[in-house]
Amino acid sequence: MATRTSRFNPYWLLVAPAVLLVLALYVAPIVNVLLLSVTDPKPGLGNYAKIFESDTVANLIWRTIRLCLITTVAAVTLGYAVSYAMLHALSGVRRRMMSILLISFWISVLVRSFAWLMLLGHNGLVNGALLSLGIISEPLPLMRNELGVLIGMTEYMVPYAILPLLANMQGIDPRVTSASRSLGASSAQTFFRVFLPLTKPGIIAASLLVFISSLGFYVTPAILGGGKVQMIAEYISVQLLVTVRWGVAAMLATLMIASVLTLMYVLNRFMKLSVVFGGVAR
Amino acid sequence: MAKKRAQDPHETGRSARNNERGEGRSKMEEVTMKDKAFLNDLAREGAIAFKSGRLDRRSFLMLCGLAGVATLAVKVGDAEAAANEIVMWNWGGESEKCHGDAIGKPFTAATGLPLKFDTSGPLQGKIKEMVDSGKVTADVCDADGFDAIALGKSGHLEAIDYNIVNKKQIKEGSAWEFGVGVIYYGYAFMYDTKAFGDNPPKGWADFYDTAKFPGKRSLYKWANGSIESALVADGVPKDKVYPCDVPRAIAKIKTIKGDSLYWGSGSEAHDMIVNGEVAMGMIWQNRGKTIEERTNGRYKMVMNEAIAMPGAYIVPRGNPAGRDNVMKFIEQALQVDSQLMILDCLGMTPSNPEAFAKIPEAMQPYAINSAQNIDKVIFNDPVWWADNGGDAVNAFLEAIG
Repeated sequence: MATRTSRFNPYWLLVAPAVLLVLALYVAPIVNVLLLSVTDPKPGLGNYAKIFESDTVANLIWRTIRLCLITTVAAVTLGYAVSYAMLHALSGVRRRMMSILLISFWISVLVRSFAWLMLLGHNGLVNGALLSLGIISEPLPLMRNELGVLIGMTEYMVPYAILPLLANMQGIDPRVTSASRSLGASSAQTFFRVFLPLTKPGIIAASLLVFISSLGFYVTPAILGGGKVQMIAEYISVQLLVTVRWGVAAMLATLMIASVLTLMYVLNRFMKLSVVFGGVAR
Repeated sequence: MAKKRAQDPHETGRSARNNERGEGRSKMEEVTMKDKAFLNDLAREGAIAFKSGRLDRRSFLMLCGLAGVATLAVKVGDAEAAANEIVMWNWGGESEKCHGDAIGKPFTAATGLPLKFDTSGPLQGKIKEMVDSGKVTADVCDADGFDAIALGKSGHLEAIDYNIVNKKQIKEGSAWEFGVGVIYYGYAFMYDTKAFGDNPPKGWADFYDTAKFPGKRSLYKWANGSIESALVADGVPKDKVYPCDVPRAIAKIKTIKGDSLYWGSGSEAHDMIVNGEVAMGMIWQNRGKTIEERTNGRYKMVMNEAIAMPGAYIVPRGNPAGRDNVMKFIEQALQVDSQLMILDCLGMTPSNPEAFAKIPEAMQPYAINSAQNIDKVIFNDPVWWADNGGDAVNAFLEAIG
């Protein structure tokens, strides 16, 4: 270990061009933009004071956090069930489940949002069917409100929950649960006292990953929220393009980047980031 | 088309920021800015001279090289293209074809300059960014009246040359220093005749009265038109709408908050109405005409008390084709024939008073400036929106959230 840290590793030279490119073309411009938060409209922390002074900004941050938390709980719960099923499925079935998962992973967020409108909207399939069956007399308000946004966000996030959970579950020695059963535990006891605790790192990693990714939702709330469910990303775009208050936009962007980096750091402590993003555990 | 936005000019403008940073720094930047502007001009003038044959190619390229090396703002290709075309920055869709036919064709016939399009939508923040970056790629933007006022004040626009653009062809109040109200569009509303056919709503007061006219409503998400509609509904006389009493408007909007949806694009507004998501919905008046036609009159538009918005043509400072060329383009857009073609093609109504009387019979009910509507509508005050729009939009978003 000591020799490793003291000697220069020549492999860094292979990475260097990519790192320099990212620094020059990505990090530097971002820092430049984020600096606007302390220089526009005037130098100082005026934009940050708005978090405490302005109800709008405070409400916005709170609403974003609340929606992301609900999405996280819903997506991880659903994702847990799917991963559990995948873990115990025959390998052929599991492969098919995996392909369906990946296909849904690749469908654009815009397409998905409009699909939800067609399915659950005012004139959508579900409302149409329920109305014609006489189960309801008025269409249910499933879309263009907070519920609609949550449905759309959760559906988008389920694959993000499944991948780290599945990776975690596959790493658990199946003999542990067999041992538990053979020692007389019921299947419920085995699940809650043996399997569930062993998947804790997976649950934490999945939750953090889903939460971080939900913070930046833009399209889904804009389309499914009926204009009333604004989240940070859409608000940033309004401040950039419409009201031209770049300082406020940069402040919110800084806040988001800072929280994402903090959460990434936390995530990394529970599960190597490389594993979450599909790499190999070391 | 799609339009929106408003801003607070006091908080914008790189020069304003620099002034607060301290004298020495700002002076230095001023000098480089001037150099940049000078070299840009040089390259542009060179391009024009090259085009008209007064400058040979080698000298022209050298000039571009000189300017380019010093500023990075002008590329050889850019400057070479500059004198060869007009780039219009608009909202895409039908407007590309319509602007091309109505303005582009006669303009190209007269000047030899083709018209090209950037259809990404010239929002105020994007125009500001383009000018601040020193890399201006558009010559004329299809923007809003308040953009002309706000960006003019912050120094991001070329002044209009009224020696080339004839003021008489512009509706009174829309010939600004930094922009021209070339067309008018408006925020009207539509209702479902199946629900209210016997006793149709007549104005914004009925729109906000969900007791008498039950059902949901939709309004524009970024506050334009919505604020005004609420004030009129609350009993403010049409000529007293400006300056807008924003808290009063918001109190009125909150009375229908539980029954309301908000749209950000024309297609969204369209869907909300024809899918029956709302019983009455605010709509851009040209889109409303389409809906009436496509649904055979099932949904009907109310033009009474519609909020009329001047659609402004503005020129980003340092536009590549040069000021004269783009002024000629704006002048062409104001010609009666072009104005009537835009009305026919896009439903955007003329600003040139000479065209008012020539609005075809079938378009009369939908046109802002037709004899039957001109006294019924409320004309937007772009100066109020330029000064107060940023606060109004944020207060509105807070209220509906």
